[in-house]
Amino acid sequence: MLTKWRTVYDWLDGRLRLKPIEEMLLNEPIPGGASWVYVFGSATLFLFCLQLITGMFLAIYYAPTPDHAYDSIQYIMTSVTFGSFVRGLHHWGASAVVIAIGLHMLQVYLYGAYKPPREVMWMVGVGLFLLILAFAFSGYLLPWDQKAYWATQVGVNMVGTIPWIGGLLVRIIRGGENLGALTLTRFFALHVLFLPAMTIAFIALHLFILRRVGPAGNFDHKRTAGVRSAPQKERRAVSSSEPFYPRQVYMDAVVMGIVFLIVAALAAALPFPLADKADPSDTSFKPIPEWYFLFYYQGLKYVHGPFEPLATWILPAVFYGVLLFLPFIDRNPVRNPIRRPTAILIGAAFLIAVFSLMAISLKEIYAVPTTDPSIVRGRELFSSLQCNGCHRVHGSGGAVGPDLSYVGRTRDRDWLIRHFKDPQSVVPGSIMPRFPLEGSKMDDLTNYMLSLK
Amino acid sequence: MKRRTFLTRVTGVIMGLIGLSLSIPLIGYVVSPALRRQAREWADAGGFDALTEGRPQELTYIVAIKDGWMKTEAEKSVWAVRQSDGSVTVFSPLCTHLGCGYRWDPGDLRFECPCHGSVFDVTGKVLAGPAPRPLDRLPVKIENGRVLVLYELFKSGTSKKIEL
Repeated sequence: MLTKWRTVYDWLDGRLRLKPIEEMLLNEPIPGGASWVYVFGSATLFLFCLQLITGMFLAIYYAPTPDHAYDSIQYIMTSVTFGSFVRGLHHWGASAVVIAIGLHMLQVYLYGAYKPPREVMWMVGVGLFLLILAFAFSGYLLPWDQKAYWATQVGVNMVGTIPWIGGLLVRIIRGGENLGALTLTRFFALHVLFLPAMTIAFIALHLFILRRVGPAGNFDHKRTAGVRSAPQKERRAVSSSEPFYPRQVYMDAVVMGIVFLIVAALAAALPFPLADKADPSDTSFKPIPEWYFLFYYQGLKYVHGPFEPLATWILPAVFYGVLLFLPFIDRNPVRNPIRRPTAILIGAAFLIAVFSLMAISLKEIYAVPTTDPSIVRGRELFSSLQCNGCHRVHGSGGAVGPDLSYVGRTRDRDWLIRHFKDPQSVVPGSIMPRFPLEGSKMDDLTNYMLSLK
Repeated sequence: MKRRTFLTRVTGVIMGLIGLSLSIPLIGYVVSPALRRQAREWADAGGFDALTEGRPQELTYIVAIKDGWMKTEAEKSVWAVRQSDGSVTVFSPLCTHLGCGYRWDPGDLRFECPCHGSVFDVTGKVLAGPAPRPLDRLPVKIENGRVLVLYELFKSGTSKKIEL
């Protein structure tokens, strides 16, 4: 088998001259030698490829229209073999890409690898980071559930706070005045056509520059000129650098395997459920963004009124500006982190701020009891007793009786219980039948009514 | 084993395992709906009392059709004949020759296909024309005075009744 493969390879090599390319790809010298610290770039690339593959497969069943998007994903989750697993891979893979690219940037920052001559590689990398965030934001809308709809609504509205052009930008992003069918199709096209094409081009550029400039390697390693042409033995002796293959390739592969195992385990164990189908009329839904936007979401809570634009666009614009031009702002040629305390302190302060905001946000989210189980039971009673035949709640149900969408604001517990037992006693002439429910059921239904605010 | 060979093998094995554990679910994901047979449901085609014994009647009814995540409604029609023993015989509306829609001729008391002139009697037996087999009977049951039909499609042009 192996010899046969050799023969095929030799045959191709005789025509396409593959060996020089193979050598160029595999023998790239890493100054200071291979290390587990350098795996994050390839882990990010691996996860991006995983997203490409799972995304292509999701597109087999997905339909990007408000009428069908939700149902088509529901179909993937319930009717397609391994459907929930494939969607889980894409969902958890998205989080993993964000983690991997974050760690990769952190390592590059720590090792001062963005410094000359790698300024352009860093800037392309920042571009890739922005593309990944755009992927995350545009992909979030596609399931067209309540969470997707309202989180996107908030995100798009933030753009609206940019002076002068904000309103126009919002219209362009939405494809019209409202978030709807036109928004979904353009987010879909962006997510599956434009962004992948741009990202692949940027990755190619990123890798091309890496190969032209060479990996940065360890920070206290002196760059040696002409290393590449020297024979391997001599090269090791002269510069203590090590070729990319086989040790670095092996380390990258091990990390890819571990990353894949984690993502696959999450996809298998924690299927990602859909919320209710998007309902533009239900403004009571409180959207919570994905965890990687949480710190930002929390930060927004602390600014109000005239300072709002500061958080919605001035700070982010400054942040990305500094990030993009970092190699030109930080002119210190030293790479060793111990000898660049300012840069390391600024980096640490940024991380502490981000993680503190994230922690506060998570704490606040989990401190709020999501839903009282009694309310859930009450809602089930509401539908099993067919109350919705006459009463409307947030757009669904009949219009015979009063709309109950906000009944919790106007009625109290005693009134509701007396009313269920004998509607005519509190509303003379009411045509509603009596519902003399037993104790706990009465409480459940009343709690549900009171939750409608 | 040389260290270099070992590292290469480990790399290969990891990549192979990732590829394998990814390709199996993905193949299943693509193939599964293609292989699944749609579950057929009994559909209410009409009331039993509306049928007259020995006289074929065309029953037109609405069935819910699942098409992936979409549910659409389609109109189906079948030919039903009430028998003297209280049962009902239901024929698929498609001629067994090439799938044309045939009609009942109340004057000649026979089913006639306009396409190629196949003729069947009230029991579905071929009387004339190119039809290779009798009219296709569909599963039927009567519940609470309603005629319930399981709509099935059969291959046309064969002497055997082959379900599609």
